[in-house]
Amino acid sequence: MKKLFFLLLTLLGASNLFAQKTTSLSIKFDNFIGNDPVELNTKSYKNQAGEDFNISLLQYYVSNIQLVKKDGSVYTVPQDDSYFLVRQNRPETQTITLKDIPQDKYVGINFIIGIDSARSAAEIGYRKGCLDVAGDAQDMYWAWNSGYIFVKMEGSSPQSTLKENIFMYHIGLFGGIGDKKTLNNIRNVSLAFNKETIKLKAGKVAPVIRIKMDASKILNGETTVSIAKNPSVMGGPYSAKIAENYKSMFSYNGIGMPAPTEKTSLGLK
Amino acid sequence: MKNKIYPTLLLLFGLMVLFSFKRVRGNDDENLFAIPSNFPKPTYHFKSNPLTAEGVELGKTLFYDAIISSDNTVSCGSCHQQSAGFTQHGHAFSHGVNDLLTKRNSMPLYNLAWSTSFGWDGGVHDLDLFAISPITNPVEMNESMANVLDKLRKSQNYPSLFKNAFGSEEINTERFLKALSQFMLTMVSANSKYDQYMRLEGVELDEKELAGLEIFKQKCASCHAGELFTDYSFRNNGLGVAKVEDLGRFEVNQQESDKHKFKVPSLRNLGYTAPYMHDGRFETLEQVLDHYAGKVVKSEYLDPILQQNGKLGISLNSDEKMKIIAFLKTLDDDYFIKKESFSESSLKTVIPKKDILDDVKKLSFGNEKHQLIMNESLVLYLKLKDAILKKETNKAAVLANKLTLSLDRIERKNLDIASRVYFDKVFQGIAFDADHIIEGKALAEHQFDHFGELSANMFRLMSSFKPSDKPLFYYESSEKKFSWLSNLSNEESTPTIKQYQFKDLKKRALLP
Repeated sequence: MKKLFFLLLTLLGASNLFAQKTTSLSIKFDNFIGNDPVELNTKSYKNQAGEDFNISLLQYYVSNIQLVKKDGSVYTVPQDDSYFLVRQNRPETQTITLKDIPQDKYVGINFIIGIDSARSAAEIGYRKGCLDVAGDAQDMYWAWNSGYIFVKMEGSSPQSTLKENIFMYHIGLFGGIGDKKTLNNIRNVSLAFNKETIKLKAGKVAPVIRIKMDASKILNGETTVSIAKNPSVMGGPYSAKIAENYKSMFSYNGIGMPAPTEKTSLGLK
Repeated sequence: MKNKIYPTLLLLFGLMVLFSFKRVRGNDDENLFAIPSNFPKPTYHFKSNPLTAEGVELGKTLFYDAIISSDNTVSCGSCHQQSAGFTQHGHAFSHGVNDLLTKRNSMPLYNLAWSTSFGWDGGVHDLDLFAISPITNPVEMNESMANVLDKLRKSQNYPSLFKNAFGSEEINTERFLKALSQFMLTMVSANSKYDQYMRLEGVELDEKELAGLEIFKQKCASCHAGELFTDYSFRNNGLGVAKVEDLGRFEVNQQESDKHKFKVPSLRNLGYTAPYMHDGRFETLEQVLDHYAGKVVKSEYLDPILQQNGKLGISLNSDEKMKIIAFLKTLDDDYFIKKESFSESSLKTVIPKKDILDDVKKLSFGNEKHQLIMNESLVLYLKLKDAILKKETNKAAVLANKLTLSLDRIERKNLDIASRVYFDKVFQGIAFDADHIIEGKALAEHQFDHFGELSANMFRLMSSFKPSDKPLFYYESSEKKFSWLSNLSNEESTPTIKQYQFKDLKKRALLP
């Protein structure tokens, strides 16, 4: 019996010894329209179609994050910890923190815009946190045609023909399930950290990866979206054109150290 | 040592096997859910939501509680009534909050454990996710999910009901939706005459019914397939242009070829679930069969089955139609619509109801002319009640119209502000229900539903304005959601009322 006990102890010790050293890593999403940081309601922008508009709401899902190592292999963030909803009106959602990242050298990041089809079709028990349809996801979920809204942008434009000149772009659809086939507006994003390598080391403060999100790309891309012609886009076929536009809205925006304010807020907790 | 370890390991292994077996089976309480021997395997994922008596009880309480809607007036049970096979009596469309109308007929609820998609367009793939749709729909319950959970958390009863069902008082999305599913999954309808015949339980179909079954197999069963009487597909069955444009399945998947396609519904309990089709356009089964026999409208994506050999529809003569209908009636499951454990009255925790007396105010009509109008209106009301209870539908329609016109004679401008506001609000309610009694003159059940609410409003007027000194009594059955006014203090013992078998009748005297 004693022998067995020692064996167990050794095994435990060894597993501890070989445990990978990890650290956490933050990503800050900087939302822009072209070169101007997004300001809700107050600021007027112009799109490629020459229309003036302002934005009252901007939010999107980022999920299925992978970090690309210098040797070309990837570290995949555990599935359940890999869903984030970034909201313009809630600055705390614009910085996401990935925990337990193995210390290594990283040169890029992959993620998807939206929610993968498996999770989009998953049972209610798998819809927690920002996927909670009665919680954080409440305004990002279509109940009658079950699925998440991936990218949501609303605002107004004098050119809009809708009541009170509003426009609404609610883009979702994950391809459907079973014999219900729909468009698939999930888009993959792969960003290299230019030529930089980010070294993550346990015990050291990790830099913040900054990613620029240019919301003007939602309107300006392969398709020049005219607010006058399409003031409201939701489940229809035109949503695919907007998805093709938004797939290139993210770009790598350098690295920074955690801002002092963020540190203070952490300290307060 | 060996001697001791092996038996222990064996025991552990045995326990694991036992445990996993129980888990895989999911439900082991046959009183809650059992697969009828003539049914296929269900599709619902019981493994992740095994039914428990406490979970079903919680789900049932939620199902019948109007707390789920934004103004606490509409529950799931409002549009899914057990006596109507869990759809709504006589309603083509259902009323949500603020008396707004849905654009589709509420689907009957039964055998949901076998369904592969939910709703007429199949936009939801999992029963657990379905309830979110009516709760958040502006013309149904118009409530936010977060608010529902919040109201439940602050309620007197729900924390302990959740604890009974799930082990702790925590109220969250998953628990809420799973409990609702648990109750709905218990709604298995498999005890019709047809089922008993199929299971050789000593019941025989008569000659006409058997002939109907044969014709049904040849001409209907390609879509209304198997023991569930649907293949769960979506089809365009050639209905002509609707009052409300509805693209059906196209609205969820934008496939051109799915325009105007709707789910093939099951055909069980048709005797209780009229009217028929996604928009409730047909009031009788005869009309439904007449449609398939000769009124199918050609369109680009009309189902191929309905246009074979260059002929539209299904060839059916009147004898065949009659036999099919005789067969369809054998699919009515009387046991299901009367089963006590599905009813609101079987709830262990009574849902707190707003008392109608809270709506009563001290108001005045100011002059005798108005009191006279009110008393004349009451006479019309009592005649209307008589017609409703006797199912004289045309007479009821005429009287409902007269009642509205009579009440409308009250000169609002001569009332004080509080009285005017109150009268207007209640009058609008009466006019709304009267309109439905007028329009539903072919359907006694539809009139019956609206008469209950109209009576409640008459009570509000009579008790707030007190235009008369004569005794008046208010009778209320919460189980059948029916109420009426009467001059008699013992109307419950009259034959007209007795035939309705109100189990939970409450009576209040309206003293002068």
